Amino acid sequence: MVKRRCAPSAAARGCATLALLAANAIAAPKTYVVAIENMQFNPPDLTVKRGDRVVWINKDIFPHTATAETRAFDSRSIAASASWSYEPGKAGTFPYGCTFHPTMHGALTVR
Amino acid sequence: MKLIHPHWLGALALVSLASWAQSAGPTDPQIAAIVVTANQVDIDAGKLAESRSKSSDVKAFAQQMVTDHSAVNQSASDLVHKLNVTPEDNGTSQSLKQGGDANLAALKKLKGSAFDRAYIDHEVTYHENVLAALDKTLIPNAKNEELKALLVKVRPAFVAHLEHAKHLQASLEKSSG
Repeated sequence: MVKRRCAPSAAARGCATLALLAANAIAAPKTYVVAIENMQFNPPDLTVKRGDRVVWINKDIFPHTATAETRAFDSRSIAASASWSYEPGKAGTFPYGCTFHPTMHGALTVR
Repeated sequence: MKLIHPHWLGALALVSLASWAQSAGPTDPQIAAIVVTANQVDIDAGKLAESRSKSSDVKAFAQQMVTDHSAVNQSASDLVHKLNVTPEDNGTSQSLKQGGDANLAALKKLKGSAFDRAYIDHEVTYHENVLAALDKTLIPNAKNEELKALLVKVRPAFVAHLEHAKHLQASLEKSSG
């Protein structure tokens, strides 16, 4: 996080513009939501950048997991109406599923 | 001495349920009793399979049936309390219970791969029949919107369970040669 001190004067406008430019160049991390509902991951395929945050929200009445086939990530049991968030640090495509319900599949691509 | 196969008892109960669609159809309190009984029957079979099966895949499936069908029944009983409805026992819920008891009695006589096959075969038939009942009778006849919504919400789980059971059925057939 870059901190800039800006004088509360006419310089403030220029300083704010600079801060905006810096923010755009770095691209602030985003938060993505994957709904787990009706025994499906929605969206099933998601592409994010390293440092972004992915939140899986379980909207079913049963527990589910979001578990990478390689175990690169594993939510363990996410209770009904609960959520789990993950910040991917490694690039790659990670097929994942619910260990409780083998018919459920998704893929997370990290750039 | 081939008596009526226990699979058929459960199937018959649900067939009679399907034929209800043509007549008046079950009331909401009757639907509540049918849902709770149908889930309980599968929870009981799952508990037996969890303790009896030697296959880790079959045990995992059985454990999942206990977890998921218990969650459905929890939601159903929460809703029934909220709506102040008393589930009403009826011919269909009674034959579901009898079918479930007959299935348990038959399974208790089996061991090893014979047990696994009988349990999973029954799970396939059971989930097919419950799905048919949901689509033809329970969902169309549910009057209360929240009850109908709950039935619609749990339907995909029955589809996933059926696929899971069919997958296990195929692999059990393969392993038994």
